[in-house]
Amino acid sequence: MILSALGAMGIAIGGGLLVGLLERPLLRRGAEPGPAGRAVLRQRVQPTRPDPWLHAAGPVLALIGVSLAAVVIPFSAELIPEDLGIAVFFFIVVVDFVVVGIALGGWGADTPDGVEACYRVIAQLVAYVVPLGLALLGPIMMARSLSTVDIVEAQSRAGLWYVVAQPLGFALYVVTALMQTYRAPFLEPFAARISGGVLSQHGGGSGLVWRLSLSALLFVVAAMGAVLFFGGYAGPWLPGPAWMLLKTLGVLAGMVLLGSRLRPRSTAEMLALSWKVLIPVGLANVLLVGGLILLGVGQEPFPPPGSGGGGG
Amino acid sequence: MVLPAYAVVALVGLGALGIAALAVAVLRVEVRPLEAPRAWSSYRFGFATFALVFLAFDMEMIFMYPWAVVFADLGMKAFLDMLVFIGLLSAGIAYAWRMGGLKWE
Repeated sequence: MILSALGAMGIAIGGGLLVGLLERPLLRRGAEPGPAGRAVLRQRVQPTRPDPWLHAAGPVLALIGVSLAAVVIPFSAELIPEDLGIAVFFFIVVVDFVVVGIALGGWGADTPDGVEACYRVIAQLVAYVVPLGLALLGPIMMARSLSTVDIVEAQSRAGLWYVVAQPLGFALYVVTALMQTYRAPFLEPFAARISGGVLSQHGGGSGLVWRLSLSALLFVVAAMGAVLFFGGYAGPWLPGPAWMLLKTLGVLAGMVLLGSRLRPRSTAEMLALSWKVLIPVGLANVLLVGGLILLGVGQEPFPPPGSGGGGG
Repeated sequence: MVLPAYAVVALVGLGALGIAALAVAVLRVEVRPLEAPRAWSSYRFGFATFALVFLAFDMEMIFMYPWAVVFADLGMKAFLDMLVFIGLLSAGIAYAWRMGGLKWE
């Protein structure tokens, strides 16, 4: 049990360090770094009259959120901190703790930049959660399970990566994942114009925790993309953990390379994009995937009903 | 089965709390005061309608998760049920859009 917990912490921290090293070289030259920007580490930033508890709680909550999300990332059928029955649902719930953390950290600072970051991040949540949830429904429907291990196994049994069966769902996932991780072109809460949002409102140990949790956030979200759409740890020749790491880094590099080459979007544009394009497309995608399943795509050869994982 | 699984979750939460506290405690650095005016009362938020519509849609999205797990076993019946549900949701979006709710104010 303690080993599992340490494993989850290791995934979050190791992933965060890896992303911290890899992300900036991938950005387009001259692009705004957003959450990959520099945090103040040598000084402890003290706003004039912060709410001391909320201000301090921000980065801590963010780190707790990404560490909890790492609990359901599988590196092989056995090498997973804990195979919760409701893994995918658990994941989208705990990742949103990062939003709570940014909102508290920004609001608690009681400075114009901090409060602006708080409002922007909540608007971003309102934009991405529903289309993200709709994008995740497709793999769950095909795999008949919410467990990440079951979803990987279902893909390898059917001999089909879900990115092939559901290209629309994957496109939706990439866009919403960029919103969820605050990477370009959706980096308004960390824009340079509000001097990096919460990154400039904390420093020292808190700044370090921000850097770590924002990098780890990108890692776990890309890992979930690899599990849902690229068959996770399953693959020939190499051992499972190697495949998982390769696929995660592939998804991550694709997201960052694509995102940093697009024009940055304002929060209002993002809300309009989400509600006028992404959510209708997501609803259509659920019906499309449903139709494909009725036609038998991704379903053969499947064990008889009842032997699968099912909800927790 | 459930209790040990979520004990791991609780341990991870405590571990992250511990690491964060450790980082703050170990990195003893000088304090830099951040001079800025107070800001709590000087902002208004422009997405109130989005937020209200979001509450409804977030709940409805949650209802689709159990349906998605059993969908392949139930087949056509589940598909038609969801067709009605998604039809209602789309009508909801269309209504909010038509009434000018999907605008930053």
